[in-house]
Amino acid sequence: MTATGLRIIAGKEFSDHLRSRRFHLLFAILAVVAAVGMITGAVQYSKDLSDYNAVQMIAEGDDDPTLAGNLAGMKPSVLSAYSQMGMLMAGIGVVLGIAMGFDLVTREKESKSLKSLLAYPVFRDEVINGKALGGVGAIALAMGVVLIVSVAIMALFGIVPNLDELVRILVFGVASFLLVFTFFALALLMSTVSKDSGSALLYSLIVMIVLSSFVPIFAYTPVYSAVFGDAPTPPGMSTYSYQQSSSAYMVTTTKVGVQASDTIDPEALAEYERASREYMNQKRTITDIVTLVSPTGNYQTILGAVSQPAGDSTPWLGNLLGALACNVIALLAMPAAFFALAWVRFMREDIR
Amino acid sequence: MIRCDRLTRVYNGIPAVDDLCLEIPAGEVFGLLGPNGAGKSTTILMLVGLIQPTSGACFIDGVEVAAHPIEVKKKIGYMPEDVGFYADLTAEENLDYAARFYGLKENERRTRVGDLLALVGLDGVGTKVGGYSKGMRQRLGLARALVNDPAVVILDEPTANLDPRGVLDYRRIVRELAERGTTVLVSSHILPEVSKVCTSVGILARGKLIASGDREMLSRAALQDRVTIDVETMTPMPRLDSPEILSAEYSQDACSARIVAKNDISALIAETLYAEGILPRRLAVEKPDMEDILLSYYTEGTA
Repeated sequence: MTATGLRIIAGKEFSDHLRSRRFHLLFAILAVVAAVGMITGAVQYSKDLSDYNAVQMIAEGDDDPTLAGNLAGMKPSVLSAYSQMGMLMAGIGVVLGIAMGFDLVTREKESKSLKSLLAYPVFRDEVINGKALGGVGAIALAMGVVLIVSVAIMALFGIVPNLDELVRILVFGVASFLLVFTFFALALLMSTVSKDSGSALLYSLIVMIVLSSFVPIFAYTPVYSAVFGDAPTPPGMSTYSYQQSSSAYMVTTTKVGVQASDTIDPEALAEYERASREYMNQKRTITDIVTLVSPTGNYQTILGAVSQPAGDSTPWLGNLLGALACNVIALLAMPAAFFALAWVRFMREDIR
Repeated sequence: MIRCDRLTRVYNGIPAVDDLCLEIPAGEVFGLLGPNGAGKSTTILMLVGLIQPTSGACFIDGVEVAAHPIEVKKKIGYMPEDVGFYADLTAEENLDYAARFYGLKENERRTRVGDLLALVGLDGVGTKVGGYSKGMRQRLGLARALVNDPAVVILDEPTANLDPRGVLDYRRIVRELAERGTTVLVSSHILPEVSKVCTSVGILARGKLIASGDREMLSRAALQDRVTIDVETMTPMPRLDSPEILSAEYSQDACSARIVAKNDISALIAETLYAEGILPRRLAVEKPDMEDILLSYYTEGTA
């Protein structure tokens, strides 16, 4: 591989993206949505902070250590503003990624410029690498601008993030970039396997729907029950309730409530608790797998963890990323896999 | 300058190019002729390094294409049959982009691109290539093939979409290239075009080179075993009889005939008519044109 060909192609692709009307339109929507999300989040943050301060003053006035202790983990974080922005990003960023990649190779085929391009003194891998690099550059630029806009909006509201929050904002930016890049790489793959841009777009959308909407269906309780069976039935006639939550740093819990008037065999209850725990563990495993397979699922998991309210209970970022290692790896591995497949397919492309 | 050594390319078990041996000396304008599916484009794609041979090898200026594709691509200029450009760029921008790959500096590129656009008659056209006619694209394709001032120019169906003026310009450019010592390989099915610009030709059929040489040599070779003689007389002529005659067709009034013989027996026919006291009105030996020559080879090649 020669660096010259790669640089020329990447430069052209980057410039093409930046000049493309499609990119302008989606980037404008992304920037507006991010700005609106940030403004809404910043307003909400200011309100939450004011409420928190008011409650804290009451706690200090009453000299109630229990209330003060409970408040410690409830201090609002500037990151909560990014939570809203991230939800919007998960929708529009995906479309931006697909829009930037679906015709990168098919457009060359359709305009019949691919044969000429490959007849220049360049290796094939320079062509596909250059296309990917140009796209990555444009995505990075778009994400960078969105991040700067978001910090600027916070500054306008007089919110100054501390170092930990700045690092978390950066993690949010990198995760958003990886999400868009995942769908860009997917669209690039579809562009290499399809004969025309229309088919490439269609295939990209189908895979996107499968990964973002179809696969996560299996984690929803009704669908999960239909596929893997219902949760164990509690013994007796009492009202039972259980809580379950799953995330990278929260422990799954199962609680069973029993009314005092019930007469329940303790063995049946123990068996029920065991079966419930097993069911919950299985469900959590399935949910985690489903999340790992879905790029938006990983992104939302990371986003949710990164934008948790600050306070004493907030884990240190290093620990947090350690706990999210699987999601981070999955978010890195998926675009890498899509790009590797696109690369192999393009290298084997039959030119006639 | 161009050499194919037992070059073979197989698609799904069917050889598109089959054991092709070909040598084109430097400075030659070589016409590669053949019917559709003969393997012309596949041969060219292997010569420009776009596809790998299944077996055998091809060389440009002594460098094996498959082993050193970048080195070879720097030496050649290629215009594909279905020439394509970036529709959202102007002709100048398209050529400038192509020139970057050959390491030309900005000022060199500007001069070169301007000269080439003037050469193909597209200077001053500021519109984007998306609005070009097929002929204009073909002209631009020719300019792009020359952007690196190549030692070998390979043109696949170069006049397919050109208007008469464009064809004249194309012939002029090819002749100028030949005068400068550039080797030109032209693949075409437009036979008059090949015969007008090429100094030698090769005929492909079913992936094999069935004949090659200069035009006269091919003509002689094609004429080796048959000559057509048209005879017209004032009065009915007798049936001509000679072991040289392969076939003969007479008109109903026997005043005209079309004789196909192994050799030129026009003198013998004249003598026979004179002996019979018949006045000849016309006695003509048909010289086959390029198309006849080609068809005779195609027939042989596909038989």
